[in-house]
Amino acid sequence: MRKVANYLWIEKNGEEYKLIMTPELQDDIGTVGFVEFTKEKSLKKDDSILELEGSKTVLDLTTPIAGEVVAVNEKAADTPELLNSADPDESWVVKLTGVDEAEFNALENA
Amino acid sequence: MMSQLQRLHFLISHMQQEMDENEPVPESFDERFQMFRGLANRRPAKPLSREFLDVQDAFLGTYNSEGVTAVSDLTPVRDRLYLWQGDITTLKAGAIVNAANPDMLGCFIPNHDCIDNIIHTKAGAALRLECAELMERQGRKEAVGRAKITSAYNLPADHVIHTVGPYVQDGRVSRMKEDLLRRCYMSCLALADEKDVGSIAFCSISTGVFGFPKERAAEIAVDAVTDYLKDSGSRLEVIFNVFDDEDLKIYESHLA
Repeated sequence: MRKVANYLWIEKNGEEYKLIMTPELQDDIGTVGFVEFTKEKSLKKDDSILELEGSKTVLDLTTPIAGEVVAVNEKAADTPELLNSADPDESWVVKLTGVDEAEFNALENA
Repeated sequence: MMSQLQRLHFLISHMQQEMDENEPVPESFDERFQMFRGLANRRPAKPLSREFLDVQDAFLGTYNSEGVTAVSDLTPVRDRLYLWQGDITTLKAGAIVNAANPDMLGCFIPNHDCIDNIIHTKAGAALRLECAELMERQGRKEAVGRAKITSAYNLPADHVIHTVGPYVQDGRVSRMKEDLLRRCYMSCLALADEKDVGSIAFCSISTGVFGFPKERAAEIAVDAVTDYLKDSGSRLEVIFNVFDDEDLKIYESHLA
């Protein structure tokens, strides 16, 4: 099941929620050249998850849902262009657990 | 005491020496000011001598004291909302908003006709130093939609709030860019309240060299400010500053 909010896809796989770059977002930021992931473990809605510098803009990406960070895309820290990929296995940003399912369900369907 | 012309001569000579340049200093005030401005725009964020700052502050203090407008002189168009046509660097407000770029060090293009340039020029060289300190602490460029506050130095305003607006190419405004422009206004307003500045004057963020269509930008600006004041219960006084007649008409229609 996939939702969209804050220009990110949110994909639910069991208890895990994966936040992924959307093509619209990728188009708006251009080639990603620098990224810095959040170091927070526990996120509130609209907390920063990723600071990025693209060829078109500098952006502070925020999470549309609260949750606990279980993983960030470490590979993208070394190779930021991965975030430009059409493959969600490469262009995901963070994985969250402990998300309120009702909050997730209230988001717009992708 | 030095005259304004003499002060300009001193400032130009000082900066030329720093940059190892030796162009002749023109005679007229206007040409001399242009030369001073160009040098100040190009000057990197390096420490300044007390002597330079004293002369610069004496010059700018006098230069900026002409034609100042106070917020209390303005008539609101709605409760706590003002529309004012004029040069934002002559407004005595709690804070004026600067449309900055992600480096947030002010405009480096000599005599460039942008708000970032004139704000930094008339505030003085210490503004760039304060911005450089903030940016060094941050360790990366400034993201679109946030806000940072500094002193306004020699400007009549008390503070400058710097925000980076979204950049629009070919007039193509995505939903994200609209949201980001709204976020600029929200961040500036929240910071203005946090620092209790009392009044804040917005330029039309992103509509200059950043290419955001003016009509849509004004609509977003007015909606954001109206929503913020309503939702937060803030007592801030908010001034929409416009420069030309076209912008004035656009804002008049949205504030009607």
